[in-house]
Amino acid sequence: MSGGERLAPLEREMSSERLVMYAGATWDWHKLHYDQAYADAANLPAPIVDGQHYGGLFTEQALSATGPAGRVKTMAMRFRSMVFVGDTVRVTGEVTGYDDGVLTISHELRVDDRLCATAVTTVAVAAATPRLDGANHDRPR
Amino acid sequence: MTLLTPEIEALVGEHVTYTAPEPFGPAEFRYFALAVGDPNPIYSEDAAARAAGYDGVTAPPTFVMETNQYMSGETDEHGYGGHSWGIEIPGTRMIRRGHEYEFGVPVKVGDVMTVEWAVVEVSERTSRSGVAMLEVTSQASYTNQDGELLGVNREQLVFQELT
Repeated sequence: MSGGERLAPLEREMSSERLVMYAGATWDWHKLHYDQAYADAANLPAPIVDGQHYGGLFTEQALSATGPAGRVKTMAMRFRSMVFVGDTVRVTGEVTGYDDGVLTISHELRVDDRLCATAVTTVAVAAATPRLDGANHDRPR
Repeated sequence: MTLLTPEIEALVGEHVTYTAPEPFGPAEFRYFALAVGDPNPIYSEDAAARAAGYDGVTAPPTFVMETNQYMSGETDEHGYGGHSWGIEIPGTRMIRRGHEYEFGVPVKVGDVMTVEWAVVEVSERTSRSGVAMLEVTSQASYTNQDGELLGVNREQLVFQELT
């Protein structure tokens, strides 16, 4: 894995059932994410996707570079514009660095050509190997 | 328009701690992965998680920063039940600018999470078009019952003057 490698793009429809599932799974029932009347009152064309939801997509794409042994270390997300219920998002990712077993990946999330969010993740390509000098004696066995 | 009032400035250093009323179970991890649409079996199958170096099923890493399971379940008039500082500034709208996450030890079934929220910075600036913007940076630290750090979430909210 070297700098410049593009990861497989990830596409997902942000359907109403997905937004309701996400609201339930996070115990976050803010009406902005599923209530059309609430969106109307806020002068929005439709309910909007919770921006933090994208973190799950960036994670999925980052771990596609390492397989399940990888460990996401950090993620910095920046929101640029809103995603509405029913939109299909497309996430692109590019490896921009590799140092000491850790990949740096830059992601962009778009609806059509519109940039909605960017993120940089760092991912260790494998979990730290337990040392054999007794330093992990308190780990559950 | 000045948004950075003494009351807002006094928020810096405010902190509050919540501890979840019950431990995480495997259904919550699987539910979060299903909602995102991530098919990785480490979130639903113990054997797959162990093969990947975990002690058993874990959650997608951002689950820790996303769940409001540690809150009481009471909601405000917007339906929101998560932590908030209760900042309301008339004549502005709130925008979530972004998050910086650091991930610690993987979350596991049986973990009881404690979350400490703090306001770390407030500042005001004016956009090129002359719009006043108040930026509030908060940090949440998530730990398990053994005091191990599960993660840190630094988030920026912006209160933008309506023109």
